[in-house]
Amino acid sequence: MDLHGTVGEALKQQGISRRAFLKFCTALASMMALPPQAAAAMAQALAKARRPSVIWLPFQECTGCTESLTRSNSPTVENMIFNMISLDYHETLFAAAGDAAEAAREKAMKDNFGKYLLLVDGSVATGLDGAYSCIGGVSNVQMLEEAAKGAAAIVAIGTCAAFGGLPKASPNPTGAAPVAALVRDKPVINVSGCPPIPVVITGVLVHYLTFGSLPELDELGRPKAFYGETIHDRCYRRPFYDQGKFAKTFDDHGARNGWCLYELGCKGPVTYNACATLKWNGGTSFPIESGHGCLGCSEPDFWDKGGFYKALPTGNWGGGKTLAAAAAAGVAIGAAAAALARKRQADIAKEK
Amino acid sequence: MSGLRDIGVKVVEPPASDARSGNAEPLLHEIATLLDALLAGGRAGSIDLRSLPLTPADRDYLRERLGEGEVRAELHALGPSEVRETAYRGVWWVTHRNAAGELCAELIEVTPWPAILQAEREEIEDAVQRLRAQLGDGAAWKA
Repeated sequence: MDLHGTVGEALKQQGISRRAFLKFCTALASMMALPPQAAAAMAQALAKARRPSVIWLPFQECTGCTESLTRSNSPTVENMIFNMISLDYHETLFAAAGDAAEAAREKAMKDNFGKYLLLVDGSVATGLDGAYSCIGGVSNVQMLEEAAKGAAAIVAIGTCAAFGGLPKASPNPTGAAPVAALVRDKPVINVSGCPPIPVVITGVLVHYLTFGSLPELDELGRPKAFYGETIHDRCYRRPFYDQGKFAKTFDDHGARNGWCLYELGCKGPVTYNACATLKWNGGTSFPIESGHGCLGCSEPDFWDKGGFYKALPTGNWGGGKTLAAAAAAGVAIGAAAAALARKRQADIAKEK
Repeated sequence: MSGLRDIGVKVVEPPASDARSGNAEPLLHEIATLLDALLAGGRAGSIDLRSLPLTPADRDYLRERLGEGEVRAELHALGPSEVRETAYRGVWWVTHRNAAGELCAELIEVTPWPAILQAEREEIEDAVQRLRAQLGDGAAWKA
């Protein structure tokens, strides 16, 4: 089998019909908020696109991001991506081990220099010259540097790779850094979340395959199609926020009646992600639907921002007064506060 | 000993699922515009029903207004799909579900015949090759 033939050829070999593929493209276009006419164009472009070599490097990570993608409930949609790429290195999914695995990575990098997609999950340990995290005796810093040289684009998967995540949490003993802090001369797409929603990972890769370019990104390098709105903007409990109905404890009258979890520490108003619309576990629900506030896992330094169960104004997420005013005043100001908090977050990220 | 039933859980329905949002009516006008475009230039159009907020009541209203046509096709590819003709020729209601039965796309297609139902030339070429190969292989038929 020609590993780097076209996507169309690969799908045919796997027994995936044109109709199934068109259906997949229709579903993706819908999730990516592209006009429905884009599905046919996407199917055509994708069928002719060459399967790119993909190298997936795991650094300081928990494998949750890989789990999110590979154990998604509707394997026929999200996992289809594995038919469309040539995954030439992935420690967890690899049959090869040790020297053979590393040799495969080096060969793929050499054969596809300048053309392969580099996927990274986990943050990069920079302390003690990178000695905190090594693979086959090579530090993460060194491996990233080498792999980035020949990459067409880099996708930082998960909050650790995108923003440093948990390893970077204070006091950051390993000197953990996000990919974009170390790679300056290549485009880096941040697909944040702990873990990211599987279809978001797929969507970004398909966009790249279809259009040969990166999707439109926000100022934190995240695709706007998925990170354009806050959890709060699309939350089904939003009407309660607007009416000033808040749960005060996890077992009070408000909590049982599905009122807004803002005062119990929900970070929905400052968290940009698509959980409220795409949901989790095959579209079953998202955390707020299960009665727990949003942790803000797709935002930089969410771990160090003042406690998951403390209301936003008491943490380090933004101007306390502005957010408190938003809680009282509702819709219009709520959106403005989220925008303000977001700017503040971007400023914090820059300062650090 | 207390059981699960003793825990004070109340299932709360999302608000206003039985009320119409007002988003359904404009869709009917958009469909009419797409039909005009189809007649004028032969260009097929479609509307992604998940791209705008519709309550269950909106959806029911839309189904009722568009009615039932003569054709209803089932597709089994990566899970079930349904292609239904509405009472208006050229207007199709297409529902795609994944293998687990979850909705993954829902569209109104304005076209003489939805592209997903057609067999493409390349597929027909492939079919004739396979059929001829089977006809040539006499043993397979006798067995």
